[in-house]
Amino acid sequence: MTRLIIALLAVPVLAGGALFAHDEFRIIGTVASYKANVMAVKKKEGQTVSVRLDKQTLITRDKKKITPAELTAGLTVVVDAYGDYEDDSLALEIRIVPPIAAR
Amino acid sequence: MAAALVAAVIVLVLFVMPAEYGIDPTGVGGALGLTAIAAPGLAPIPPPQGDTLAPVALGPIALYPGQYKFDAREIVLGPYEYVEFKYHLAEGATMLFAWAASGAVMHDFHGDREGAPPDAAQSYDAAARRQADGSFTAPFTGIHGWYWENPGGEDVTISLHTAGFYSTGYQFNSDRTRETHEVRALDAIPSDN
Repeated sequence: MTRLIIALLAVPVLAGGALFAHDEFRIIGTVASYKANVMAVKKKEGQTVSVRLDKQTLITRDKKKITPAELTAGLTVVVDAYGDYEDDSLALEIRIVPPIAAR
Repeated sequence: MAAALVAAVIVLVLFVMPAEYGIDPTGVGGALGLTAIAAPGLAPIPPPQGDTLAPVALGPIALYPGQYKFDAREIVLGPYEYVEFKYHLAEGATMLFAWAASGAVMHDFHGDREGAPPDAAQSYDAAARRQADGSFTAPFTGIHGWYWENPGGEDVTISLHTAGFYSTGYQFNSDRTRETHEVRALDAIPSDN
């Protein structure tokens, strides 16, 4: 019985810890799509990653706050996100910036 | 019930805190390799090789158990990229520095105490600058150096020159890659005759 209680107590502790485990990522690229709080970003290196948005995600253009509905395909974005992996990470801040000149 | 609570706390301290936050008060997490999990994707910084080059005070003089080194490099920051460049210095060790950026940058000269979690960095200077020349004495043993961020859409080149009692340079890039740079010894400088 004691073991069961320990397990029941330990699981939320472990799960809670996992919930907060994260790495921070900077993703620079163009918006490929935005739908249902998920934005696909095509990185300048070529691959496409998905980032999730929540109510706390700050989205700005020229330092002014805008809504997710304005995340249209083709915009250049700088995303600071966190998660276990870059793909499917949670966006903390999304900045819409001028297009980056091709090299 | 009390025993269960104690057991849960033990699990938290021994396993969860080292694995998730890199906090390892007992050392068990480090022994089991759990602290490495706290920063997946980034290998732990290797300890500096050889002497830690800690100074021994002799009045106004600080004597070191080895020669000072020097380093010079250019770092190109692409649009909106950032970089951290740091050196390992022992507490009290000195470094001279000069850096300049070809464009506007955000900057933070800071240090990370050896063994402390990454979010415990101490900032020394985050004023808006495009260049700085100065000297630095490490307030604690750890890695000390600069964060530079390019806030614009054009490349910015950082030119960095340092000399000091350090052994290795570490570069942390915004794409999460990490580079280790050997610094040069004095015999790399030709003598004037």
